[in-house]
Amino acid sequence: MVTRRSFISLASFVFAAALSLPAQAAPLPEVTVFAAASTTDAINEIGALFEKSGQGKIVPSYASSSTLARQIENGAPAQLFISADEKWANYLDEKKLLSPGTRSVLLGNRLALIAPKDSRVALAIEPGFPLAARLGDGRLSVGDPDHVPVGLYTKEALEKLGVWKDVEGKLARGDSVRAALAYVGRGECPLGIVYTTDAAVDPNVRIVTVFPENTHTPITYPVALIKGQETDAARNFLAFLKSDAAKQVFERYGFATK
Amino acid sequence: MIDSLALTPFEVEALTLSLWVSGWAVLASLPPGIACAWLLARCRFPGKSLVDGLIHLPLVLPPVVVGYALLVTFGRRGVVGAWLYDTFGFTFAFNWKGAALASAVIAFPLLVRAVRLSLDSIDKGLEDAARTLGAGPVRVFFTITLPLVTPGIITGVILAFARSLSEFGATITFVSNIPGETRTLPIALYTLTQVPGGDAGAIRLCIISVVVAFIALIASEILARRVSRRIEG
Repeated sequence: MVTRRSFISLASFVFAAALSLPAQAAPLPEVTVFAAASTTDAINEIGALFEKSGQGKIVPSYASSSTLARQIENGAPAQLFISADEKWANYLDEKKLLSPGTRSVLLGNRLALIAPKDSRVALAIEPGFPLAARLGDGRLSVGDPDHVPVGLYTKEALEKLGVWKDVEGKLARGDSVRAALAYVGRGECPLGIVYTTDAAVDPNVRIVTVFPENTHTPITYPVALIKGQETDAARNFLAFLKSDAAKQVFERYGFATK
Repeated sequence: MIDSLALTPFEVEALTLSLWVSGWAVLASLPPGIACAWLLARCRFPGKSLVDGLIHLPLVLPPVVVGYALLVTFGRRGVVGAWLYDTFGFTFAFNWKGAALASAVIAFPLLVRAVRLSLDSIDKGLEDAARTLGAGPVRVFFTITLPLVTPGIITGVILAFARSLSEFGATITFVSNIPGETRTLPIALYTLTQVPGGDAGAIRLCIISVVVAFIALIASEILARRVSRRIEG
């Protein structure tokens, strides 16, 4: 059965396609995507596929989900929001800024302890593991645990493992997961905690070990359209994110797809 | 929005750290700053305009460029940073000394400029007279030149101090955002603007910044007036 909404979007798509046929240089409709920093590479690639499919062109803005939520709250012209945790999606939901019925879980991820690629450090994650001792006088590079999602997960996991108090004063706080990744990649910090997917895109770091899933809330990435910004192109991109083509890209970068 | 006039521990930490970092930044750059100003005002040498340009570069460069350059040079793995750490166990990486270094580099041109302008404006005849009366160049500098340029030095110090207090881009790029080490007033403010629900705290920090800047300006005004009165009288 064809729902009214999908009929409308199909019809408008056909209409838009018909309009764009004669004039080949007709610009593709743009979709402004506010996405968690950890999705940078995957969303860039999926955006290129989306553009190639002729449905639209994405204009991405990547930052910590908390920063993005904050910007959307203040009226940033986002059409689609991908958050690295439920907290900041809930925050916008409570402020009635998400388009009702468009929110769903897009991805899953894991937390990894990383080191510069030439580091020989070995550590197993277990309660009371000697994280502070391995840092020596260096710092642990993390997302700011006050608001950056990867930092919130990190704090939760390290508290559960009973080592948070030891390292709390030895943190280098990045304002997004990619900032945390960069400090380890450049060798400025001997250890860091990011998502496994971030560790995979930086050839200058290696994964020491992956955090057991029972040490923190499951890492899920909700996606939703922003209220009042539900253009056809935005809806199309939301659907495209859940297509097999997009799933393949996400999985190649190491995300779990739902 | 503002519940209490008393400062929270978060604000006290950011404020005292800012004053500490800026104080050190200015203190450490004062001797080289005066030396550079003297060099530019009194000496002629090949490559002078190049040195002049280099000193003023941080004034026009985006602070992020300065921060990144410092990270690459003075970071734990930086050319100079690695050497400093291996030889002296000293590092600028992720601590308040790094924040002070970033502030000092950014504020240096302001200090040099103010002192140099002051040097240009004093009567060179006084220095020459002292020399003809038998004073050596060092004695002339400390007994004639330095007292005469004191108003310029004070202006430079206050300007540099104020610029250090407001330093953000180079600092966050070089030494990140660490509470009690590198989270100065502007960086604490930035953090609050990034956190949903941080408005009230951000506004409080804005007010604190305005008050501190205002105090610094008024203090410089009073000091400069008092000093120039003493020199004239």
